[in-house]
Amino acid sequence: MNPIRILVADDEVHMRRVVTMFLERAGYAVETASNGKEALDSILKNPPDALLTDINMPQMTGQELCQALQTQLPDRKFPIFVMTSMTEREARDWQPKIPNSSLLEKPVSMRVLVSDLGRRFAREPA
Amino acid sequence: MADRLLDQIDFSRYQRWFNRSLGYDCPIKVLGAAGEPVWGCSSDADAALGLRVAQASGAGNGAVQRLDIDAESTLLYRRLTVGASGVRGFAAVVAGKFARADAPLEIDRMADALDDMATGMVDEAASKADLDKITEELAECYEELHLVYSLDRHNRTGVGRDTETFRQMLQDTAAHLNVDVVAFIRPSDNQCVYATALSKEIHNLDLVLVEMRGDLFRFIQASRESVVMNEADDPRRTYIFTDMPYRVLACPIVIGRNVDALVVLLNHMHKPPFSNSDRHLGEVLANQLSAMVSQVLAVSSTQKFTAQLAMAMVEAVEAKDPYTRGHSERVHHLSMEIGRALKLPEDEMQDLHWGSLLHDVGKIGIPDAILCKPARLTKDEYTFIMVHPERSYEILRHIDQLKNAVPGARHHQEMWDGKGYPHGLKGERIPLHARIMAVADTYDSITSSRAYRAGRPHEVAMAEIARVAGTQLDPSMVEVFARLCATDPEPEWLVRFNIRRERKSPG
Repeated sequence: MNPIRILVADDEVHMRRVVTMFLERAGYAVETASNGKEALDSILKNPPDALLTDINMPQMTGQELCQALQTQLPDRKFPIFVMTSMTEREARDWQPKIPNSSLLEKPVSMRVLVSDLGRRFAREPA
Repeated sequence: MADRLLDQIDFSRYQRWFNRSLGYDCPIKVLGAAGEPVWGCSSDADAALGLRVAQASGAGNGAVQRLDIDAESTLLYRRLTVGASGVRGFAAVVAGKFARADAPLEIDRMADALDDMATGMVDEAASKADLDKITEELAECYEELHLVYSLDRHNRTGVGRDTETFRQMLQDTAAHLNVDVVAFIRPSDNQCVYATALSKEIHNLDLVLVEMRGDLFRFIQASRESVVMNEADDPRRTYIFTDMPYRVLACPIVIGRNVDALVVLLNHMHKPPFSNSDRHLGEVLANQLSAMVSQVLAVSSTQKFTAQLAMAMVEAVEAKDPYTRGHSERVHHLSMEIGRALKLPEDEMQDLHWGSLLHDVGKIGIPDAILCKPARLTKDEYTFIMVHPERSYEILRHIDQLKNAVPGARHHQEMWDGKGYPHGLKGERIPLHARIMAVADTYDSITSSRAYRAGRPHEVAMAEIARVAGTQLDPSMVEVFARLCATDPEPEWLVRFNIRRERKSPG
């Protein structure tokens, strides 16, 4: 079976490194994008099985990315995880309006993320 | 991961570099630590060669080595060693085709190039290993922050609901660390708060936790260090506790210099062993709880001090007038009953608590000759008595915590029609707590024995109270009190306070 593909959009390289390392160890195929625009291009070319996105990114923010996906990919199937710190209250307003999305509290616990994904993609042994 | 370090290197770049440096194409081979093929190996012959290299390399140092394959060809190889963790593999090249007249020089050239290339590979692998280590440590920091933030959130929102806050904190930790049980165990007061995220049922969890209070606690009390017991045959299990088929991680909660409590994490054996990271996060939780426990202990010792001080003051009044022994306690009890019936909010109940308990403190200022006089008082003597609520106020006003309790004590002798003392307040101008206490005080004065008379029966007191409702007492408070006394069965305090009853005709 093909590995589950996860796209990680974050402008901070350390974040991309950590997420990539731990998700790859858990058996996922990880692709990265350093802003919303890169992520959007990659998704339109080849949609992943899950999107993990930061909010504050140059060129295109996580919010703009999610909203762009709503219009350009209305029948999207894959889940979106929005990474945000608890202090970013603004994220709470728009995120619930994005279907099949959830918040992931920053700093992201890789234990929590890996077990969340594991439950979601239970068919695949990690 | 460390043992996959060589997998992360793009060897084709090194191949191009090697070719360029020699001036012609010359295939390189990369072997693993056991001689297994990693890159550039194709045939079974390569696999056999790999084994020979791995076995021959025992004495090999970091320099380029030679291994004669047959009469025509020689293998040049160099060990790839990264950091202190040892041999990761070998870079090799076959120097067969160059057994010409100039072969010795050519072989030296190849050996030099191989050496340079291997150094490059080792450097790259080393920086990849460093980066992996940094990334792991960063992820561990994220874990810690994630846990601390979530505990801190409970800590800030959960003040005053200690056990529930504790449980929430443990629950979050159980979910975060994905452990079956997280427990807080404090043997000194038999406290055990726990949360579960069970991967499989645990029978008799309560019993399991009870056992931890004993030897496990004593062991950690002595060692003052976290204990990790992953294996079923860990020798410490025999003397720490027995028959527990769980992986155990226990961390001390240190307060001052003592191990005050434990955080215990349990996992079923089918789960992975507790890691260093689990241990670290367990200690983070223990430290957070430690701060919280000391706070709770400080608050409860302050509360205890206040309560003891208040009881000491009540004692002082009763020491002065033995006949009123128990009066403060009874008025307090009846006032609280009325307060509960009125559904007063928690903070008001606190004020009523202290106000009613201390309402007669001012009697300390009344001369014994008057207070204990076994006969009717003269008018002047009575005037002295009337001073006592104001005295109570003067004494209690010094205590900030009793600020809202004082008005009740100060005005408990006011009358509904304004003819009471000390201020002659009327109706609802009289503080509510004072109106409550007045009913309780009146009832107890009638039913309890005094220096000059025996206590009268409950029925007499109720009739008298009903009679003065609307003149001395607030009628609505009297009504609440009457309802309280009319319950079936009768309130338990009638017996406890030893209140006389009118004999009912046998029915």
